[in-house]
Amino acid sequence: MNQKVFSDPILQVRNLQTHFKTDAGVVKAVDGVSFDLRKGETLGIVGESGSGKSVTNLSLMRLIPSPPGRIVGGKVMFHDTDLMKISDSEMRNIRGNKISMIFQDPMTSLNPFLKVSTQLIETIRLHQGLGKRAARAQAVEMLAMVGIAKPEQRIEHYPHQFSGGMRQRVMIAMALSCKPEILIADEPTTALDVTIQAQILEIIKRLADDLGTAVIMITHDLGVVAGMCDNVAVMYAGKIVEKGTAKELFGDPKHPYTKGLIHSVPRLDQDHQERLFSIEGQPPNLIGLPDACPFYPRCNYVMDICKQKYPAPEQLSENRAVNCWLYKEHENKEAGLVEQR
Amino acid sequence: MTQYIVRRFLGLFPTLFVIITISFFIIRVAPGGPFAREKELPPQVLANIEAKYNMDEPLIVQYGVYMYNIIRGDLGPSFRYQDRDVNYYVFNSLPASMFLGLVSLSIALVLGISSGILSALRQNKLADYLSMSVAVIGISVPLFVIGPVLMYFLAIRWQLLPTSGWIGGRNGWAPLIMPAITLAFPYFAYIARLTRASVIEVLRSDYIRTARAKGLRESVVIVKHVLKGALLPVVSYLGPAFAGIVTGSVVVEQIFRVPGLGRFFVQSAFNRDYTLIMGTVIVFSVILIVMNFLVDIVYALLDPRISYK
Amino acid sequence: MSNMPSSPDTQSAPDGATNEFDQPVEGVSLTKDAWRRLKKNHMAMAGLVLVIIYAVLSITAPILPIHSFRHQVSVHRDLPPSFTKTAGELWYERVENRMTLLAERDGRSQLNAEERAELAEIRDRIETERRVIDGEEVLVHQRRYLLGTDHLGRDMFARILYGGQISIAIGLIGTITSVFIGIVLGAIAGYLGGKTDYFIMRFVDVMYGLPYMLVVIILMAIFGRNIFNLFLALSLVSWLVVARVVRGQIMSLKNSEFVEAARSMGASQTRIIFRHLIPNTAGIIIVFATLRIPAFIMQESFLSYLGLGISAPFASWGSLVSEGVNRMTSTPWQLFFPAMAMTLFLFAMNFLGDGLRDAFDPHSKNRL
Repeated sequence: MNQKVFSDPILQVRNLQTHFKTDAGVVKAVDGVSFDLRKGETLGIVGESGSGKSVTNLSLMRLIPSPPGRIVGGKVMFHDTDLMKISDSEMRNIRGNKISMIFQDPMTSLNPFLKVSTQLIETIRLHQGLGKRAARAQAVEMLAMVGIAKPEQRIEHYPHQFSGGMRQRVMIAMALSCKPEILIADEPTTALDVTIQAQILEIIKRLADDLGTAVIMITHDLGVVAGMCDNVAVMYAGKIVEKGTAKELFGDPKHPYTKGLIHSVPRLDQDHQERLFSIEGQPPNLIGLPDACPFYPRCNYVMDICKQKYPAPEQLSENRAVNCWLYKEHENKEAGLVEQR
Repeated sequence: MTQYIVRRFLGLFPTLFVIITISFFIIRVAPGGPFAREKELPPQVLANIEAKYNMDEPLIVQYGVYMYNIIRGDLGPSFRYQDRDVNYYVFNSLPASMFLGLVSLSIALVLGISSGILSALRQNKLADYLSMSVAVIGISVPLFVIGPVLMYFLAIRWQLLPTSGWIGGRNGWAPLIMPAITLAFPYFAYIARLTRASVIEVLRSDYIRTARAKGLRESVVIVKHVLKGALLPVVSYLGPAFAGIVTGSVVVEQIFRVPGLGRFFVQSAFNRDYTLIMGTVIVFSVILIVMNFLVDIVYALLDPRISYK
Repeated sequence: MSNMPSSPDTQSAPDGATNEFDQPVEGVSLTKDAWRRLKKNHMAMAGLVLVIIYAVLSITAPILPIHSFRHQVSVHRDLPPSFTKTAGELWYERVENRMTLLAERDGRSQLNAEERAELAEIRDRIETERRVIDGEEVLVHQRRYLLGTDHLGRDMFARILYGGQISIAIGLIGTITSVFIGIVLGAIAGYLGGKTDYFIMRFVDVMYGLPYMLVVIILMAIFGRNIFNLFLALSLVSWLVVARVVRGQIMSLKNSEFVEAARSMGASQTRIIFRHLIPNTAGIIIVFATLRIPAFIMQESFLSYLGLGISAPFASWGSLVSEGVNRMTSTPWQLFFPAMAMTLFLFAMNFLGDGLRDAFDPHSKNRL
């Protein structure tokens, strides 16, 4: 993937924290997440289910169901406004207009009781102040752009008359109908057939390029990241553990968790005799975690310090950062804490 | 769609047929039933029945005659009263019952849906607790307690409303108020709880998240996206609700002396006036079946996922 | 939402396995999980406690020190509830008051000799009169009626307690019968499908069209009012809902993988239905049954009000309430106490049922 040149960030997330109150205690679903997104960039956020990728992005949109969820801290700078501080109506003006979302399950994400036309047109009219007819024309055009045949007729159908892949196309059309600056795609292909997945990704990529939209691609599929993303952030237990360009990260993973993730992808170009690699153990639940590195019980490089304190990010290069004690040896030495593995 | 309606409509007749057949044979097996002669009947009544059903013919013929009469809309002679047919009693008292039932159902729907939505939107707030407490009272206190208590306070203690009578008399519409409220109360309660639960469920659904992610106002989200899906369970509850209201009217008409079919029903049950009971049941059943039919069609119109094939 | 942190089903289990963060990693079964959630629901737990109290009182009623529910003491009729005064005192007061009133009306300032003699006789009877009630000789006027008496001089407390026994029994037996019929027919229809399913469900549809309570009323009117007929009439027409629910559940479970697995291992049809499918619908049936019991009690009371329910000397809450309703203005306690007893029980059952439904409903997992 050729390195694009990006301008200043349009979105800066700093130390975002989202907690959920559950019966058993407070779940720190997002625990101090920071990242930047530049115009036209595609950022992949990878991690296992429950690592906080979706919650991070719902938090950006302030769509966390509350209660039980609550954004307890952090800043989300969209250009010069902090999305966490603006009023509800200002936020609504951004949702679907400047920042829009596609969700994982196209079967349930469209309202089954309303025609596709209604659902598309209401967004366009809301944000662009178009008349009914103009909005409709634009909606038809969007459907055509996402590759739906006979859009003039299909627009009058209800969601249940579309297949899963087609519904996801409708979702994409809806999300992009106001030419947003940022598109958040939350596992957009997970619920779809493999053959459809590639088509959907292709559409997202093409339209994002055409419209100059930056994309946050949430996924647990490293293949998707490799194929689409410029930069990647790896999440584990509500924290970003490593960031970098897709190329660097795949070529030279630093964090033991990232290494594990990349190793556990089966590869055709390697020896088949070897057993598939897998990371031992289960991710911890996010209630009452100590300050330690949440990955240490599963980590092959665990040191004593890992069990005592969570490491600050170590900036390895301009785009590269990792949160791991392995890369903080100078500090460790200073503190006299370095141990054998 | 038209085809679906026609097909559903034709489906009503077998149901009716079964109900009438069961009714007929229940009369036959009833100890001391109308066709067994051991019960002392006024001779005139006996003559009426014999003339109508050819009592000396075999059972199957009598059944045929009964069915034939019913198809012609004749419910037969009363078992108790000599001068008039069942038709006379049934169709004279039906309008009052229908009116009371429809008014009660409307009250239950309007109040139930609105307080259910309110509760769901103010979940675990004061308004929610308040309306849900009223709703639990509604499903836990029998009609025949609510009715007399209302009557005691509103009519006897404070003299705000007449104790009995019916609309059109010297009290105008006032006699409708207490029976309608009493009858509506339990169904208001059910509908409120149902609405609350289904609004909460829809609010949690993915497509509502999508609607919010589009930047729609909360009021638009509720009215345009939530309500249609959330009210479907209420629509399908209308059938049972109407059945309950019909049954409840039996008691309420008794308490408030409403000149309706329900009161006849109880009287005839005590008088063992079997033909009158059967006539009442058949009329009630027809009303219910038609009501269920209408509810099904409304449901099909509301839910695009239902296929009419 | 799909990717929210799945609710960690944990409470530090004392003997369960834990991971490095001292977090239990043991799985929690559905019933255990439901029970845990039920315990958080205060209204449901209050309901459960109340239901248990009612059950214990009903079961132990024969050995509790309460008066007979059927013995009539004619001079004790319509006595108001009192904790402090004995029946004799209340009776005496009532007679004395009446006499004073009479005297005032006649313009006398004092009672005459005849009346005084009557009062003296009453005083004497209060001290000495004995009666054999249920094989026991008691000073009948020294009794106390905590909740008053009814119009025939029977203890309201005992009547409410025994009435509750019958009402709860009707609720229980009716529910068990209807659930049983419903499960069997629903399971057969759902599992076998095809023609069997078609006929069973058509029959259910037809029955659905009947005005249910009216049919019960007719059955009671025609076949006579006794408890057996009441059970029969109520449960015969109330299995329809269970049958529908069970059928629906079975249909959706039928094609699930664990049933496929059982079938592939050669399990027989009946075994699959009764060992695999029905246990999996248990949650929904428990919830249904809990909500069905108050419905039955309500329906019985409805019949009692129409004079078609339990007949004297037995009582049910419904019959007590309907007797009380007619005397609401003169002796309000005859309505108030049975109505309270019944309403409280129905409240408790309804809250418990709601709580159970929420507890068994996985959607409510993260709800607060």
